[in-house]
Amino acid sequence: MNSNTKILIFGLLVLLGAALLVYGVLFHSTTVSAQQEGKPVLLAKSEPALMKDASVSGVKRDESGKIKQTYEVGEKAPEACST
Amino acid sequence: MVDKNKAGKLTSKIIGWRIWIQAAFLIVWLGPAGLRLHTVCSPVFHCYACPLATFACPIGVIAQFGALHVFPFIAVGLLIAVGALFGTLICGWACPFGFLQDLAAKVPTPKFDLPKVTGYLRYVVLIGTVLAVPYFFGEEHPLFVCRVCPAGALEAAVPTMAGQAIAGEDIVWPSVIKLTILALFLIAIFFIRRPWCRLLCPLGAIFSLFNRVSAFFLRFDTDECTHCERCHKLCEYGIEPEKTPNDLRCIRCLECTKCSPDALNLGSIFEQAKSDGDKSVNI
Repeated sequence: MNSNTKILIFGLLVLLGAALLVYGVLFHSTTVSAQQEGKPVLLAKSEPALMKDASVSGVKRDESGKIKQTYEVGEKAPEACST
Repeated sequence: MVDKNKAGKLTSKIIGWRIWIQAAFLIVWLGPAGLRLHTVCSPVFHCYACPLATFACPIGVIAQFGALHVFPFIAVGLLIAVGALFGTLICGWACPFGFLQDLAAKVPTPKFDLPKVTGYLRYVVLIGTVLAVPYFFGEEHPLFVCRVCPAGALEAAVPTMAGQAIAGEDIVWPSVIKLTILALFLIAIFFIRRPWCRLLCPLGAIFSLFNRVSAFFLRFDTDECTHCERCHKLCEYGIEPEKTPNDLRCIRCLECTKCSPDALNLGSIFEQAKSDGDKSVNI
């Protein structure tokens, strides 16, 4: 593999990585169902917010395939990961 | 003959400081200021459930998102970008879990080597416990990566249990599998160099895939090599650097660059080899 090929592959990989990062940070969101004062609500969680919730078992996927928040809207998220 | 390039010269200067550089990175990953930036991934293996973790663990995020059936754009993007830049240099110089194993390896106990083929186990762990198990069985499965991860046990479960004991609360014990893996890991680090990294680390498995194309790589100059095989002795991980300088199992500790004829150097894709017939290889 010569230098130019390596630079090309490197450039493409960095571009791909940066594009995924930017998309994840700025544009990607997931619909999460939650409870607010006993009523079901749908939230659009950004990927960074979902990441934070996932790290403390604040979101789970139920048997129907829906992603559910494990705590009520307005309540404090769990502090520790369940694993 | 390849002149020592900028990256190579820098390596010669800092290689003796590697352990201190790893220690300095701890300040970033352990967040003494109490920052909990878990909306951001780090590129190293460090459990986000650790009471001091600054960033989220990319492997944990990939597995948790897999369980949710959501594609983790941030974690994957970060690993591709960092992998393309540094490959496994991250493992050798920045990873806190690797640093812990490097410190344990300094204890003068007999060290055992591992068969080459064991390096591929990491890909089994990556595909099995990080991708397949979370996607098909969810995070409740006992083989979900976070449920068997020794970093999680050591950095999160142990401090949490200690905190519960000190506070007089009921102690929540991790699973028997997790405790067994932690015990085996704590024994292994004194007898095998970097057992987790070499045998099971899914993050190292990902970064190693970039070793051949990353911006920084191990450059081997065939003209300079005297076939003394000193690099075989310098490499503590059983790699023969002159045959496969960018081996998948290499953590790029760069110890092999200490070989006296300068046949091995840290190279960068942006620096052209100045050659007499250009016999350097970037394999």
